[in-house]
Amino acid sequence: MFGLVDAVSFYARCEKVFDPSIRHKPVVVLTNNDGCVCAVCPLARELGVPKFIPYFKIKHFLEKHNVVVRSSNYELYADLSERMMNVIARYSDNHYVYSIDESFLHFKNFSCIDDWHQYGHVIRKAVWRETRLPVGVGFGATLTLAKAANHASKKLPGFDGVAVIEDSSDGTSSRKDILTCMSLTDIWGVGNKLGKKLSQLGIKNGWDLANQSPKAMRSQFGVTVERTVNELNGIPCLKWDEIGQDKQEIFSTRSFGQRVTDEHVLKAALASHASIVATKVRKQGSLIKRLVIFASSSPHDDNYYKKSFIYEFPIATDNTLKIVGAISYVFDNIYRQGVSFYRCGVGGVELENSQFQQQDMFTLSLNNPPLMKCYDQINYRYGRGAVEVAVAEKSDKWAMRRNFLSPSYTSKWSDIPKIIC
Amino acid sequence: MKVIPVYIEAGISGFESPAAEYKELNLSLEELLLKHPNATFFGLANGRSMERRGIFNGDVLVVDRAEYVSNGSVIVANFNGCFVCKIIDTDKALLLSASDDHKPIEITASDDFQIEGVVTVSFRLHKKLPALLSCLG
Repeated sequence: MFGLVDAVSFYARCEKVFDPSIRHKPVVVLTNNDGCVCAVCPLARELGVPKFIPYFKIKHFLEKHNVVVRSSNYELYADLSERMMNVIARYSDNHYVYSIDESFLHFKNFSCIDDWHQYGHVIRKAVWRETRLPVGVGFGATLTLAKAANHASKKLPGFDGVAVIEDSSDGTSSRKDILTCMSLTDIWGVGNKLGKKLSQLGIKNGWDLANQSPKAMRSQFGVTVERTVNELNGIPCLKWDEIGQDKQEIFSTRSFGQRVTDEHVLKAALASHASIVATKVRKQGSLIKRLVIFASSSPHDDNYYKKSFIYEFPIATDNTLKIVGAISYVFDNIYRQGVSFYRCGVGGVELENSQFQQQDMFTLSLNNPPLMKCYDQINYRYGRGAVEVAVAEKSDKWAMRRNFLSPSYTSKWSDIPKIIC
Repeated sequence: MKVIPVYIEAGISGFESPAAEYKELNLSLEELLLKHPNATFFGLANGRSMERRGIFNGDVLVVDRAEYVSNGSVIVANFNGCFVCKIIDTDKALLLSASDDHKPIEITASDDFQIEGVVTVSFRLHKKLPALLSCLG
């Protein structure tokens, strides 16, 4: 049996854990630099606050309805996520953290559990009690079914935070009931494009998809859809270690807190992004062959300016010094005097697996594994930025704007909550 | 700036410390005081109503959400949007203080009330700590 546990509107809920005065108020959380709404608590959703709307467009509406606005407090979310995952991990023998608020469980040696519904509630109660975060729990015979059950547990009427997908011996099938209620794009692995194509064939919901011939689906849409169909029928195809597939592209990009016109500041920001990308690339065991480097003014400005360059390494690398160094080669083509830059970023767009690198006789490797290992370990132990390439010097000019930041209740002593005695 | 001490163990050293093999991890306050680390948070006591139970203004409270609440436990609760530290009377639904100046508070249906956790440990700072100064009002 597989399970998927995830938190309900995680960021917004985190804000309520240590601030009881907003527990019953509508809360929204803004993205980096307070640009857009990225999380909406159920109370705010009832007011009709949409996700991903720019903050300035909805500011007055939020004020009018006394909606509590918060900047993203990543320090707090990371800590609460870790606590939540630790609690969840106690309840299965295999545990895979899929994202900041989602975690897959695989039960291999749990034959003693005969009531999964009740077990789901045991998990929910423990997470609520110990972290004050509400979670939804879904169980199914495959990862895709567990994900579907999780969706049902939160979104479909008649479920109270737990859903189990199974075919009972008495002929009733919660699998049929749940999948029939699910639109195609709610099925894991079916995106908007694919959903449209499938619906043109008359496939309307998850249950229709489950009843397609896997082979026919493969010949029309490829092996991923075949797997999805099989998974929906309880035949496991996705392996435990495949769900965390390596990213094909790795980006680090952000808009500036204040506009930037100075070339050194822009260069430092790009170098810092390059350094973040290099660290992420090493973490997943990849090498960068092509690096995209870009900077722009705001699209709302007159004379919108955007420049983007691709730098190709002679051989793929994960060396921070080389990746940051690439900025120097293209920087003069990107920077222009007088432009007030609003946004910049760096991305590894052609990645190779570091285990299977093609070499030739004349290759001089750009990599320096011992140095990078040391660099990563120091930063892991003493915090990100403990060692950094000199050119990536931090500047408050491009630091994140977080005007509505809540205290870091669990990670800074000066921010611990006050308790009235 | 953080400095990482690196001890050089080159051939020029004298005798190796006879205690080198016995080195263990140092005592950890967390290990001693936190029974359920995932469910525990810290808070700062504000007020004088719990003095007879040994909790003074400015003390640090260790609050464990996983700990069992029984009648007479010192708890932290959300009471109408504020964190409060009181003694819970589960029989009569009262929040009791440990001070003659504070009367018991009745918890009624119209109150917003949830128990947040049990105060398992509290500690007093006999010397002011810079890290906590800014939150001492």
